[in-house]
Amino acid sequence: MKIVKFASLYSLILLFVLSGCTNNLKISAESADPFEGLNRNIFAFNKSLDQNIVSPISTAYVKTIPRSIRKNVSNHLEWMDTPSTILNSALQMDLENTILASAKFMLNGLSLGFYDFDNNETKIQKKDLGSTLAMLNVPEGPFLMVPLLGPKTVRDFTGTLSDRQSLSNISSNSVNKISLVEIPVNLVDKRSKLAKNIEIIYESPDSYTKMKSYYIQNRRKNVYGDKYLEVKNNELDVEFEKLLQ
Amino acid sequence: MWNLKNSYNSLNFKKALCITFFSFLIFQFFTFKCYSDNVKNGEIVIKKMIADAKKHAVKTKKLSPKERSLKIEILIKRFINLDFMARATTGSFWKKATNIQKEKYKSALLKQIVNTIEEHLNTLATLTYKPLKSEARGKKLVYVKGIIKDHSKKIPDVNLLWKLAKDKKANFLVLDLEIEGISLISSHKAETMAILRKNKGDFNALLNTFTKSE
Repeated sequence: MKIVKFASLYSLILLFVLSGCTNNLKISAESADPFEGLNRNIFAFNKSLDQNIVSPISTAYVKTIPRSIRKNVSNHLEWMDTPSTILNSALQMDLENTILASAKFMLNGLSLGFYDFDNNETKIQKKDLGSTLAMLNVPEGPFLMVPLLGPKTVRDFTGTLSDRQSLSNISSNSVNKISLVEIPVNLVDKRSKLAKNIEIIYESPDSYTKMKSYYIQNRRKNVYGDKYLEVKNNELDVEFEKLLQ
Repeated sequence: MWNLKNSYNSLNFKKALCITFFSFLIFQFFTFKCYSDNVKNGEIVIKKMIADAKKHAVKTKKLSPKERSLKIEILIKRFINLDFMARATTGSFWKKATNIQKEKYKSALLKQIVNTIEEHLNTLATLTYKPLKSEARGKKLVYVKGIIKDHSKKIPDVNLLWKLAKDKKANFLVLDLEIEGISLISSHKAETMAILRKNKGDFNALLNTFTKSE
C-alpha cells in the first residue's frame, strides 16, 4: 500500500515533467524575505542551540573519533541519501546521474555505504525533490529559517519534507528507526565539516543576512548549475563595468 | 567614356573595400591581442598572489596574530582593488558618505577580508592551486578560473573564480572572488545593504556595526 502511495505521488510529478515544462531562468539577486522578523528570531534560536549544544558535540566528535571512522560515517550518511538522488535524477530526465548514482549505491551497498569503493572518483550531483520542483518552474518562494534545519526556501523545505515522507513510506520500520539516530549524527557530521565557514558567518556584522546570501547562492548553483552562474555573472558584469567607468 | 568612368569608380571601390577589410583585420588582431594579453596578465597576477600567500603562510607561522594580520594586510592590498570593492558593496549609499566615512569603511572591509583569509591560510599552505580556464569578459573584465586540490583528499576540491580588471595605473587587481559559485562581493553587499537600509542609510551606524563585530 505504501509503495502504491509513493508511486502515485511520483507519477504525478513525472506527469508534470513530461508535460514539457521548460526552465526559463529568471532570478532576482535576492530572495524574498517577508518573514524576516520571525526568521531572525529563529536564526538567533538556532545559533544559540548550535553554539551551546551542537558545536561542542561536533568539536568533541572531531577530537575523539579518528578521521578514518568519521570518513566512514560520512560515507554511510551520503549513501543513505542516494535513493533520493536516484529518484529525482530520473524525474529530471538526468539519465547519466541516475545510472551513476544507482551503480554507486549498489556497489557501496556491499558495505552498507560505510566504505566508498569508488574512492569518490565518480562525481554524482545530489538531487532532491526541491531541485525537481525547480525544474518544473515552481517558484523558489520566500526565504525561511527553519528551527533546527536552518536556512531553506519554501520550495526546498517542501521538497525536504516530501523526500523524508516518501523515503519513510517505502522503507521498513527498522530503517525508519535507524534514521532517528541518523539525523543527529548527520547534524554533527555536517557541523564538523562546515565549522570554519560557520565561524566566519557568526563573526560577520549581520550574520543572518550573510547566512541567507550564502545559502541562496549555493542552493541556486546546486539546482541550476552553470546556467545560474552565467545569468548571475552577466548581471554582475554589467554592474562592475559601470563601476569601473 | 562611360566605360572608363565606370572602371575608375569600380577600381576605387575595390581599393576602398580592400582598405576597409585590412583595417578591420588589423583592428581585430590588435583587439584580440589586447584581450589575450589581459587574460595572460590576469592569470599571472593570480598565480603570483597564490604563491605569495603560500610563502606568507609558512614564513609567518611563528609571528604573533597581530603581526601576522599586519603582514597579510600588506600582501592583500597589493592584489585587490579595495576602492572598487567598497563602492560595489555599498551601492548608491557610497556617494552619500563623507570622505572620512569612506576611508573608515575601506579599512573595516580590509580587516574583514584579512580575517577571512587568516581562517583559511594555514590550510592553504598544504593545498595545490591549479589554473583551469581564463576568459576576457567585455572590455575590462577578466575571469580566471582555478581549482584548489588536496592530494590527501581530506578536503574536497574547491572551484574558484577570480574577477579582475585594470586599475588607473594599469595594474591588474582582483575585484571579486567566487568560491564554489558564492560571490564574496554579492554576499558582502547583501549584508551591508541590509544594515544600511535598517539604519536609513546612516553610514556611521554601518561603521559602528562593523567595529562591534571586530
